[in-house]
Amino acid sequence: MSEEYKIPEDLYYTEEHEWARKLDDGTVIVGVTDYAQKQLHEIVYVELPDTGSETGQMEVVGAVESVKAVSDMNCPIGGTVVEANEELLDSPELINEDPYGEGWIAKIQPSDLDEDLARLMDPKAYREYVAAQAH
Amino acid sequence: MDLRKTHIYAYHAEHGNIVDFGGFAMPVWFEGIIPEHHAVRNAVGIFDTSHMGRVMAEGPDTEKFLNHVVTNDVSKLEPMKGLYTVMCLPDSGIADDLIIYKMNAEKFFVVYNAGTREKDFAWLEEHSKGFNVELEDLSNKMAMIAVQGPKAEETLQKICKKSLSEVGRFNLAMATISGYKVMLARTGYTGEDGFEIFIPDCPLSNPEKALKIWNDLVDAGAVPCGLGSRDSLRLEAGLNLYGNDIDEETNPLEARLRWVVKFKKPDGFIGREALLKVREEGVKKTQVGIKMVERGIPRHGYEVLDGGQVIGVVTSGGLAPSLGYGIAIGYVSKMYSKRGTSVKIRIRKRLVEGKIVKSHPFYDDSVYGWKRGKK
Repeated sequence: MSEEYKIPEDLYYTEEHEWARKLDDGTVIVGVTDYAQKQLHEIVYVELPDTGSETGQMEVVGAVESVKAVSDMNCPIGGTVVEANEELLDSPELINEDPYGEGWIAKIQPSDLDEDLARLMDPKAYREYVAAQAH
Repeated sequence: MDLRKTHIYAYHAEHGNIVDFGGFAMPVWFEGIIPEHHAVRNAVGIFDTSHMGRVMAEGPDTEKFLNHVVTNDVSKLEPMKGLYTVMCLPDSGIADDLIIYKMNAEKFFVVYNAGTREKDFAWLEEHSKGFNVELEDLSNKMAMIAVQGPKAEETLQKICKKSLSEVGRFNLAMATISGYKVMLARTGYTGEDGFEIFIPDCPLSNPEKALKIWNDLVDAGAVPCGLGSRDSLRLEAGLNLYGNDIDEETNPLEARLRWVVKFKKPDGFIGREALLKVREEGVKKTQVGIKMVERGIPRHGYEVLDGGQVIGVVTSGGLAPSLGYGIAIGYVSKMYSKRGTSVKIRIRKRLVEGKIVKSHPFYDDSVYGWKRGKK
């Protein structure tokens, strides 16, 4: 069933269905996966992390809410939040429409990037993980 | 454990997203909660409510019996009309909320919640001892479909022979729909105009009639709706959800249901003495509506605060799709219940501002709901 969910090849994934993308300038963009947005369905509210705040890896930094459910946003990478996607305040549906692009949640200046990345799943592992969840 | 299925399950399995709702396999949405919500507010939607409890009570003492178990006054009912009421435990806690329809002097039809079906029927049976009344649980033999929205009458009329404009609010009528004899009531749980159709002689093992009526309604333009929009619609209308907003720990005076408690009924009723005591001593908490002033969605169980002090709790909350902001039903200490009072809701780590507002309904009833266009 994993073919139903988009899982881009250039990202790292968490067991809580967040993703992380390394940028050339050393920062990391994070968000929630296609699987997560499909499970939540119609996203109506996003609680963004505060810019400038510190976070550890897999600390709760915000939340993504649908009509019925609330899902914590765990930060896949520890560091400092340097930017949050404020577009989501008025258009939370961007996460449904484009979870890996316009629906990004925050930009992190990592503190221990390599160590943190080593603890995340690659696309192949995440694809298998999602397939197992679907059963 | 296998989930229980309703008469219309075959449709849900094919088109809906099914969840476990109190042991029933029910659709939470078909296309989406938000489009289904708007369909009902602006046009017409249909809900499978066959999981609810339905009982026929018949016999010379039926009225007397019902007046003993519920707080409202059943003796005031005219034939083919219904009323909303609660039934209480002896300690004043709410056992359930229900609608009672009078068929004739000795026959009444009772509709209550799905989650309390077994408990309610046992309660009714137990308290019917000594009364000359027969109770028949029709829940599995009768399907139930709600048609709701400003276009409910127009849409249902396409497949119904009876002139629906003659059926007033909270009235019950016999009608033929899709060629089948049914009962219908001008009631619902969305705040909108609409009907609840009761399809008799429709056992779970042979649900053909219910599926035919459902499909005919879809063909007539009604949007199939799941429990998700049913919840967001009733919340905007300020209607209680049993198990969340009212329960055995809550009495009707706290829940702003004083209007369904008729202390002057000559033979009393279960819970009367305890309720009189509550009335005398005053309620400790009271139900309120809360509108979020700042961004944030209140949810069941969140704390309500004034300054640093917890003054209450949210019992139902969510984003109101027709209003665009978060709303909640909750309970606060009496002194904070005045409309306009500023409160905070603890949403995870944040304290988010809201205020006490009118919640019956939350929306402007000249714009939405069954009263629109009637002023």
